[in-house]
Amino acid sequence: MIYKSFYYIYSLRLRARRGRKGNDMAKVEPGMEAMIDTYIFETTTLLEQLDEILLRTEKANEFTEEDINEIFRIMHTVKGSSAMMGFENLQRLAHKGEDMFFIIREAPEKMTDVGFVYDLVFQMSDLFKAEIDMIQNDDDYEATDFSEMIAKLEKGAKMLKGELDSADASDAAAPEAAGAAPASAVPADIAPDCTTVRVFFEDGCKMENIRAFMLINNVKELVDDVEIVKYIPEDIESNQDSANVIIDNGFLLSFRAPDVKAVLSAIEGSLNVQSYEIIDNTAEAPAEAEKAPEAAPAAAAAPAAEAAPAQTAAPKPASKPADKPKSNEQKAPASGGGKQSLISVNLQKLDQLHDIVGEIITTESMVISNPELEGLRLESFTKSARELRKLTDELQDTVMSIRMVPLTGPFQKMNRIVRDMKVKLNKDVELVIEGDTTEVDKSIVDNLNDPLMHLVRNAVDHGIENTSEERIAQGKPGRGTVKLSAMSSSGEVVITISDDGQGIDTEKVISKAERNGLLTKPASEYTEREIQNMILLPGFSTNDVVTEYSGRGVGMDVVKSNLSKMGGSLTVESKKGEGTSFIIKIPLTLAIVDGMEIMVGDAEFTVPISVIKESFIVKHDQILNDTRRGEMIMIRGVCYPMLRLNEKFGLPSDVNDIEDGIVLLIESENRGICLFADKLIGEQQVVVKPFPKYLSQYDIKGQGLSGCTIMGDGSISLIIDVNTLIGSR
Amino acid sequence: MDIKELFAKQEEMKQKNLNAKNEKESEITKVLTFFIGDQVYGIEIPCVIEIIGVPHITVVPGIPYYIKGIINVRSKVVPVIDMRSRFGKEEKEYNERTNTIIIEESGVTVGVIVDEVIGVLPVYQKNIANSPDRIGVNDNKFIKYLLEMQDGIKLVLDVAKLIYDGEMFLGDE
Repeated sequence: MIYKSFYYIYSLRLRARRGRKGNDMAKVEPGMEAMIDTYIFETTTLLEQLDEILLRTEKANEFTEEDINEIFRIMHTVKGSSAMMGFENLQRLAHKGEDMFFIIREAPEKMTDVGFVYDLVFQMSDLFKAEIDMIQNDDDYEATDFSEMIAKLEKGAKMLKGELDSADASDAAAPEAAGAAPASAVPADIAPDCTTVRVFFEDGCKMENIRAFMLINNVKELVDDVEIVKYIPEDIESNQDSANVIIDNGFLLSFRAPDVKAVLSAIEGSLNVQSYEIIDNTAEAPAEAEKAPEAAPAAAAAPAAEAAPAQTAAPKPASKPADKPKSNEQKAPASGGGKQSLISVNLQKLDQLHDIVGEIITTESMVISNPELEGLRLESFTKSARELRKLTDELQDTVMSIRMVPLTGPFQKMNRIVRDMKVKLNKDVELVIEGDTTEVDKSIVDNLNDPLMHLVRNAVDHGIENTSEERIAQGKPGRGTVKLSAMSSSGEVVITISDDGQGIDTEKVISKAERNGLLTKPASEYTEREIQNMILLPGFSTNDVVTEYSGRGVGMDVVKSNLSKMGGSLTVESKKGEGTSFIIKIPLTLAIVDGMEIMVGDAEFTVPISVIKESFIVKHDQILNDTRRGEMIMIRGVCYPMLRLNEKFGLPSDVNDIEDGIVLLIESENRGICLFADKLIGEQQVVVKPFPKYLSQYDIKGQGLSGCTIMGDGSISLIIDVNTLIGSR
Repeated sequence: MDIKELFAKQEEMKQKNLNAKNEKESEITKVLTFFIGDQVYGIEIPCVIEIIGVPHITVVPGIPYYIKGIINVRSKVVPVIDMRSRFGKEEKEYNERTNTIIIEESGVTVGVIVDEVIGVLPVYQKNIANSPDRIGVNDNKFIKYLLEMQDGIKLVLDVAKLIYDGEMFLGDE
C-alpha cells in the first residue's frame, strides 16, 4: 500500500510539473535528469548482453547455471536502476521477467525444453528497448502500459511451474502468431524436387544473418539430405554485410524434405520470422504465412501487397516504409540535434592516449639530456626545452585527470535509493557519506554502481531493524544510520558500507546454508567469520520473503562478481545487535602512487611512501637472531622482523653486509617489518600498471608484488605489496 | 532473377576455389623465420607485432625459468620468453644478433627471444609437410606444421600453444 501511494503522489507531482514547464524533460524526478544518460547507456548495454546470452544459448540449445545467473543479474540490475529513475512500468516488467527466471533457475532444463520462454523474453527485451528509445527521444514521453506483456509473463511463469497444461502453453507462447495461416494451407506437393522459400525477418530485429543461420540449423534437422539445403546469401556466417542483403532481398532457402509441411512450420515458428513465401520457378503460386510483429501490428496487411511483386527486383517488405513505431521515426532528428551532454569514450582509447603521453615524456628526456649535447652552450635550446617540459607535464596531468573521477557520482546515487526505500519500507534511515571526493580510475567507478546499489539496499532492508521501537528497546537511537565511506590506502581504495542495525544472525545463516547444501564441513567447525562470509555465496539469502529489494540471494552474487572483475575483494564484519560492515577493497589499476624507489641488485623497486615509517642504516650490534636464523631489529622497544629483499626475490646483489645497505621500516594494518635494500634512489610519483595478462597464471602477487610501473628512463620498476610481504614473514 | 541460375553460379565459384587449392599454388600465409641453435623456425606473420633487439629485462620473481622477465615495449609491459630455454636448449649469452620478436595471440602479447631473425618466407600449400603422428606430442607440441623448402626444413611454431601451453590460463580481462 505504501508503495502504491508513493507512486501516486509521485505521478501527481510529475503531472503538475509537466503542466508548468510544458515540454521540458519531465520524464524523471527533479534532480535525476543528469543521470538519465547514464541510465539509458547502462540499461541498453545490459539488454544487449541479455540478447547475446539468449541467442547464444538458444543456438547451442544448452543453458548453463552461469548463463542463468548472468541473466538474473541483468534483470535484477535493470529492475533496480529503473526503480531508481522512477520508471515504474519498466521496473514491474523486469520484476516479472525476473520472476520467470527464478523458476528457471530451479529447473534450468525447462529453458531449452519449453520453447516459448525464449519468445517471451525476447518480446520483453524488445519492449524494453522501445521504451528506452522513447525515453531518450520523446520530449513528451508517456509511460507505456505493459500490463499485456506482464500478463503474458505471469502466464508463462505459471506454466513453467506446471500449473497450466501444455495446450495453453502454445497459446501464450506465440499469441502474436494467432493470425498466422495454418501450415496445412501450404500445398505440400508444390515442388517435386526442391522447395525454395524466401524468408523475411522482422524489421529492426538486427543480426539477420545470424538469425538466418539459426533458421538453417532448424531446417537441417528436418530435411532428408543436408547437402541439398542451399541458401542465398551464402556467407551469412562470416559476412556481417549479408544482414543487409537479407533485409533488402529476403533470405532465399532451398531444400528437399520428406515432410515439407514440417519444415515450413519450423520456418514459420522460428524466432523473428516476419513472413515467408514459397517460390516456384515454374508457377507463381506463393503461399503466404505471416506472423505479425508485435512492434507494428499494422503490418498484418502487408503480405497481401507483397505477395505479387515479390519476384521482381528486390522488394522490401511492404511494412517497412509505413507503420513504423513512433519512437523509430523520432530517433533520427533527436540524435542529430546533439542533445547528449555525455560522450562515452572507449577506455582502450584512453589507455592508448596515456601510453603515447608516457612515450612522449620518455622520448623528451632522451632528446633533452642527449649525451651528444653535453658541453655545448645552448641557451635558446635550453629555453625551448623548458617550455616543452612544461607543456608535456600539463599534457600528462590532463590525461591522468581524464581517467580519474571522484566517487561523488556513484555515492550520491545512493541517496535516492535510501530515500525511496525509506518511504516504501517505512523505516527511519539516514545515509551518511564520507570521503566521496576520493578519486579513482574511471573503470572502477563504472563498475562500482551495481555493487554499491546492492550493498546499500541490503543494509537498509536487512541490516536496519524493521521498526524504530525495536531499535530503541536495544538502546539505539530510533533512526538507523547507513554509512558509506571511501578512502585510499596503500594502493587500494577501501569503501565501507556499514549500518548500525541488527548484525548478522550467524545461527540463521548456518542453518540456511545447511539447508541449501552449501556447507563443506560440519557446521560446528565454522568460525564466526567464515559464517558471516557465507552470505556472499551465490543463491544465498536469509530473508525468507522475497521483496522488491532483496531476498533472492542475487545481490551479493552481483557484488562479488563485479568486484572480482576489478580484482577487488569483499569482506563482511558484523557483530550481532551492533551492525554490519561490508568492506570493498579495490586495487588502483591506474592509480598514481607516491613511491620510494629502491635498488636491489640490478632491479628497481617501488615502495609506497604511505607505508614507510622511516629509513635508516643499522649497525651489526642492533641485529638480533631468532631461533630460526631469522634476523630481527629492536626499534624503540618494538621488535621487527628483517626481510632481505635480495634473498626474498632471489636477486644477486653486491650489498650483503647489513651496514652497507639501507633499512626501511614499513608498517601496514598495525603490523611492521623492516626491509633491507641496497640503496635508496629517491621519491617519485608512479603510475601503477598491472602485470601483463600472460603472467597472471603465476602467483606474482603472492611473492609480494602488486604491479609494475614504467620509469621516466623507460626501465620497469616493480611495486612492492606491503601487506603480502608482511604476511609472508 | 532466376533462383536456379544463382545457385549454379555459386556452385561454380566454389568449384573454382577448390581447384585453386588443389593446385597447391595459392599463397596461404607468410612466416617470419629465425634461428634457434642450428634449426630454422618460423612464426606466421599475422601474429608478429614487431622485432626488436634485447632490451633491458626486469626480473620478476615467481615465474618459470624460461620467462626471463618483463620489458617495456612502447610503454607496454610485455613478458619475454627465452626460446632456447623454452625448448630445453642450453642458454646462450645475448649478442647483437639476438632478437626479440613481439607476438600477439588473442589479446595476449609476449616477446620471444631468438638467436637470429632470418627473414620472411611465403608459404604455399605444396610446401607444407604435415606428419600428424609426430606433431603435437611431447617436444613437438609447439609445432604447427613443417615447411619443406629447397634449403631445408623449417618448423613453423603454433603461437597459441606456445602462449597457452596447455596450462591453465587465468587471464580474463
